[in-house]
Amino acid sequence: MEERYENRGRSTLDKKKPKKKESYFDYSLLFITIFLLCFGVVMIYSASSYEAQDTFQDAYRYVKNQIMGIAVGVVISAVFLFCDYHVWSKFSFLIYIGSIIAILLVMTPLGIEANGARRWLNLGISSFQPAELAKLAVILILATVICAMGRMARTPKGVILLFFVGGLVSALILLVTRNLSSALIIAGITFCIIFVITKNYKLYVALVAVAGILGVVAVNIIRLSAGSGGGFRAARIIAWLNPEEYADTTAFQTLQALYAIGSGGFLGKGLGGSMQKLNFLPEAQNDMIFSIICEELGLFGAVAVLIMFILMIWRMMVIAGNAPDLFGALLVVGVMSQIAIQVILNVAVVTNSMPNTGISLPFISYGGTSVSFLIGEVALVLRVSSQIRLKEME
Amino acid sequence: MEKYRSFHRKKLLVLATLYMIVIVGLCVRLGYVMIFEGEYYEEKAIELHERERSIKAARGKILDVNGEVLADNKTVCTISVIHSQLKDKEKVIQILHEELGIEKEILRKKVEKISAREKIASNVEKSIGDKIRNYDLDGVKVDEDFKRNYPYNTFASKVLGFTGGDNQGIIGLEVKYEAYLKGTNGMILTMTDAKGIELQEKGERRQEAVPGNNLRISIDKNIQMYAQQLAEKVRQKKNADRVEMIVMKPSNGEILAMVNVPEFNLNEPYTIDTDDVLYVAENEADQTQLLNKMWRNTCINDTYEPGSIFKVFTASAAFESHKVTFEDQFHCGGACVVEDRRIRCHKVGGHGSETFLDGLKNSCNPVFIQVGARLGVDDFYKYLNQFGLMKKTGIDLPGEAATIMHKEENVGAVELATMSFGQSFQVTPIQMATTVCTVINGGKRITPHFAVDVEDSNGKIIKEFCYSSKQVLSEDTSEKMRFGLEQVVENGGGNKGFIEGYRIGGKTATSQTLPRGSGKYISSFIGFAPADNPQVLAMVIIHKPEGMYYGGLIAAPVIKELFENILPYLGIEKTE
Repeated sequence: MEERYENRGRSTLDKKKPKKKESYFDYSLLFITIFLLCFGVVMIYSASSYEAQDTFQDAYRYVKNQIMGIAVGVVISAVFLFCDYHVWSKFSFLIYIGSIIAILLVMTPLGIEANGARRWLNLGISSFQPAELAKLAVILILATVICAMGRMARTPKGVILLFFVGGLVSALILLVTRNLSSALIIAGITFCIIFVITKNYKLYVALVAVAGILGVVAVNIIRLSAGSGGGFRAARIIAWLNPEEYADTTAFQTLQALYAIGSGGFLGKGLGGSMQKLNFLPEAQNDMIFSIICEELGLFGAVAVLIMFILMIWRMMVIAGNAPDLFGALLVVGVMSQIAIQVILNVAVVTNSMPNTGISLPFISYGGTSVSFLIGEVALVLRVSSQIRLKEME
Repeated sequence: MEKYRSFHRKKLLVLATLYMIVIVGLCVRLGYVMIFEGEYYEEKAIELHERERSIKAARGKILDVNGEVLADNKTVCTISVIHSQLKDKEKVIQILHEELGIEKEILRKKVEKISAREKIASNVEKSIGDKIRNYDLDGVKVDEDFKRNYPYNTFASKVLGFTGGDNQGIIGLEVKYEAYLKGTNGMILTMTDAKGIELQEKGERRQEAVPGNNLRISIDKNIQMYAQQLAEKVRQKKNADRVEMIVMKPSNGEILAMVNVPEFNLNEPYTIDTDDVLYVAENEADQTQLLNKMWRNTCINDTYEPGSIFKVFTASAAFESHKVTFEDQFHCGGACVVEDRRIRCHKVGGHGSETFLDGLKNSCNPVFIQVGARLGVDDFYKYLNQFGLMKKTGIDLPGEAATIMHKEENVGAVELATMSFGQSFQVTPIQMATTVCTVINGGKRITPHFAVDVEDSNGKIIKEFCYSSKQVLSEDTSEKMRFGLEQVVENGGGNKGFIEGYRIGGKTATSQTLPRGSGKYISSFIGFAPADNPQVLAMVIIHKPEGMYYGGLIAAPVIKELFENILPYLGIEKTE
């Protein structure tokens, strides 16, 4: 809201030259993104060098891969920055179908299995996680469809259709790649986009309430049945409730993360000072990197990182609020939701506030595909910001 | 514009605000975990990261009465290899082979064994350990450790005792005063990664070891050494099984020397000298039994039949109950008939008519049988108890044996007769020596002991030991006994113990070992000086000497030789 007044103020200055458009660009968002990426590289080095040296005799192995991912992301972002974002409405269906095919391809010999999960595609030079593409694809397709539907988007029929569009990819990811975290994120993005375009609150409050009640009931059923059967997800829920009891098995990672966080205190052990990264904490450079941040930089460092994410969300909110059109605004809402959901879930897992599920911390966690697409998505948001029309309000 | 309106700014605001609120909520949660639960998790994490290695504490020294070190510690090294850190295995094998003289085959097995830490050798001399450390080989660890060291090897071995692998006392004073001597081990806490590899750069936390306290004992190194030499000399000369010697102060019970030859080497307590006459016969026996035999302090742990030295008790009890005086006349016909038994005197022809003083000087059995009869069983036992003979002496060494005595109700005239001259029952040598001390020191029953005081590693005395003593006999009786025993040495059976210029009291004893008729004897002599004011008492017991076996002839000269040297040393001047 504030931004609007600001824009108005700025636009009065441009009164004299109405022809020449004032070019707006959200440098704050750009800076936050660059900061998080660089910080991420430093933290990946800190968290992974010991283990990488031990395993691959190359302390920089993960850092190199991450920088590769960032480089790919910069290439993608160049494309997003130079093309008018409206073009994507024409390609969105293609990308959507492409992502579905990519997900299905995981089942073919092209798929790579790692850590007992088949989630990656082998692209020859590097691996590729279709789920990351799917997130972008869902954001694009939803924005495109909503704009195409116009008013119909607000009707129950429209909402159901939209839920189907997002839900399909979410379900595929869950069923084909057995990747609950990505499925949850995509479902979350879908939910949030639909929430923004409709008027009422009741439906969403009710949906959240129902989901919450179902969740509590499910947890209680699992707890009472003491995890007999139920697979690894049930076991993870049990472990979440009593991490100390499952310290050597299911709750191992969670507990190791808590040890790391707990050792941090207010100011941390100093950059590079983590003990938990010395092969104690699995995936220290990946999903669990936040706990290493806590251990090395303390509560202040961790909160500082979270403040950077809050700033990022705030910038995106401002951009979405001032976007030139609905399509642009929806793209920004989608990206914002993805980043916010990932941050929230990641920190919740690391602090054992919810059962363990592998969710990476945007821009910071190690993961080539993820960081490439995130940079691309930020570039898309920046492009939307650069097309904000700084015109006087009537 | 229509399209634009279908987008709800308000909802965008709600959504973004919700995100931010949730993230702020997570910050709070994070703060809770990091600050309130942090201590708990940090403790757990440290537990996980730290490995502890103990630093052995130096054990306290044992010092003689003049501060001479009788037991201290030597720094030795333990050499081990850490498989994961080894680089040049061949070089390691070669160097360890050269320095330690261990077969290459054995070394190879240990070096190639996949284990966290493999011990190659322990108790390696510090100089060799330092040399190996200076090679700076990857994966070879040289840890310093303490080993108990006894500078005089066989010196008072059965008194001092030795320590085991963990530096804990096994026998002797080492075990008795464990609580004072033992130090508190320290710890080195190092950080390791998940595989247990120590992280040099993370440093270490040290809890320093606290060394044990030093124990000062009443043994005088010079007297003990000399006594030990004399005992060994007489043992060899007489080809005896073993020789015991006790030198103590009658006034307070401090033991200046306690000898049990053969002694053993405290630095190699598990090596048995199988050539020694004492062990050769049982060469086949169980090693443990042999070791226990070798370690046994027979002055305290074993009893023997005291023989004529016990007449000191009979005489004292008779004086105390006014049943006899030195002037009383007795008759010895060479034997004495008690009930159906005929008990002979050592002098075949008998001593004829003699006073009680003569009877003491001659160590005449029939005289003492009659004196014992005068006392009667009741009084005899009353004084046995009063003198403390029925109880242990309370000496500060483990495993003191109790007196083996007839039950009072079973004692008839024959038993009383034999007991009167020191047969048919058994006491420990220390009990006998303590009893004589009591008789000559003015009637005070003292507690024989070694420990004098305990000082901490800075030399500050932190404990002085106190021992009980009790008046059990009148000074008058004591004075009579000193006179009588001096007479024994001056012109009685103990005359071989006489030294010109010194007033020496004493009593000899010769007893046959059980079973009777074996032809084996125990010869002993107990002497004290100066006779009028005893400063030092010495006792020698020779087990199974060959050839001449009379205590007066073979045991008394030993004490004479000892006194000739230690009396001047102790500052006891010759009179006239």
